[in-house]
Amino acid sequence: MAAPSSSSNSPNLASRALERLDALGRSTTDRIAFFGLGASLFVESVRWIFLGRRLRQIVRAQHVAAEMMDIGVLAIPIISVVSIAIGFTLSMQGIQGLEQFGAQHQVIGGVALGVTREFGPLITAIIVAGRSGSSLAARIGAMTISQEVDALKVMGINPVRFLVAPSLVAMLIVLPTLTLWSIAISLLASALYVTPVIGTTLGAFVTEVNASITTDDLAHGLTKTLIFAVLITIVAASKGTSVEGGAEGVGRVTRDSVVGGISAVIISDLLFVYAMTRF
Amino acid sequence: MSGDPNGEYVIEVENLVTHYGDRQILKNVNLRIRRGEIMVIMGGSGSGKTTLLRHLMALEKATSGSIKLLGSDVTQLNEIELYAMCRKIGVSFQGGALLSSLTVGENITLPLREHTDLDQTVMDIMARMKLEVVNLAGFENLMPSELSGGMLKRAALARAIITDPALLFCDEPSAGLDPVVSSALDELILRLRDAMDMTIVVVTHELDSAFRIADRITVLDQGAILTVGTVEEVKNSDNERIQNLLNRKFEVEEPDPEEYLARLMGHT
Repeated sequence: MAAPSSSSNSPNLASRALERLDALGRSTTDRIAFFGLGASLFVESVRWIFLGRRLRQIVRAQHVAAEMMDIGVLAIPIISVVSIAIGFTLSMQGIQGLEQFGAQHQVIGGVALGVTREFGPLITAIIVAGRSGSSLAARIGAMTISQEVDALKVMGINPVRFLVAPSLVAMLIVLPTLTLWSIAISLLASALYVTPVIGTTLGAFVTEVNASITTDDLAHGLTKTLIFAVLITIVAASKGTSVEGGAEGVGRVTRDSVVGGISAVIISDLLFVYAMTRF
Repeated sequence: MSGDPNGEYVIEVENLVTHYGDRQILKNVNLRIRRGEIMVIMGGSGSGKTTLLRHLMALEKATSGSIKLLGSDVTQLNEIELYAMCRKIGVSFQGGALLSSLTVGENITLPLREHTDLDQTVMDIMARMKLEVVNLAGFENLMPSELSGGMLKRAALARAIITDPALLFCDEPSAGLDPVVSSALDELILRLRDAMDMTIVVVTHELDSAFRIADRITVLDQGAILTVGTVEEVKNSDNERIQNLLNRKFEVEEPDPEEYLARLMGHT
């Protein structure tokens, strides 16, 4: 069998290269469009939060309260369990690592700093992104497909004001609060493990924690939760509003919102820490 | 039959053109509907009837043309003016589109809760009144998922009329329902028009339903209006495409063999 001539192959290669280039271009423009959608949802949400009353599109307190209950209160058990695990794990790893230098007493400061600046905010945000971000994306996606979003529009109700803005406000209040809770629970778990192992008292543990972390550390941890709150809400809302297809589409945007939300949290954390420690 | 033949026009569509990408969906549509009239928009699948209705509801942006509802050109309104206009219209969607997280009663009072300062007791009474109108009294505490298809459509109608709108748009109100329920919904639409002096636009492909409720019928075909007329005028039309639609004949265009082969091979 004769080998295909190079002249007959080159148009195929060229067309395949063009197809790849076309796919790359489409994917790039889709991503830019997604960022644009996210930015416009954020700006519009802020607009309704501050100007809603004047524009007769009020972001209602009961909607915010309902979201706070869902995002915050109902998440307390899972956040508590994970925070306990983090407190224990960091303490065990810390003691083992510091033991070889005879510095196991330093574990309290290490855990306190790590939990306050990094683990508390990050783990809480990841859980909330997985739990509430996915829920928001699925809700908006399902409502879009079943024409509920259209129904809101024709009732004179702006869907961003009705669906996204209350979630954003709730997330901005709840995420720092949950983070504080997570930090407290992690430190409590750490105290339960560390005090008998290194032979110290609970009072000494608290004193050491107070000496190790400053208000700047707490502010560092809590400030980034505000960024995480915006990112989780906007990624979820953007994914939800860009749903296509039926139930499969809702499943896809839900998955994408979890992946996108967690990625956004971790990458923004990296950038935040870099900015705070280098500048 | 209602709708004063000399009454004012409350819906005026002029030279409406719409594209989705490169595809032209509506081709220079002109339509005027008088106060108190029931206008039925009919057409085959893909004729553009739902797109036209979505334009009337200001859910789509037109490529060109104007749509006047109650004297205001909705294509020129800003967002806030548009929301104010939306409070004067009621819409019943094909699947009901009740918010699944709210009870039937909460769904019906939602426009009142969002746009008025009425007391909750007053809103509850109004919701019960509208539920009575659509024969769903006592269903206010059920969730939408607990209702049948016909009940969902009636609950959606109750929500659509809670603000006593001047215009009511219904998308396929009797689609997927058995003949008895479908007939009851038609009666309900007629009763709403007579009792509340509404102008009603209904999109449907159900001929029996259309002939029962329509004052006038608009027949769309491939994005253009074939005819606008009374039931008798449409029934007696000698236009072949209208007769095909009325006699439920599905036209299959024979493709060019070469074009067909190329399409199968994925070359087009």
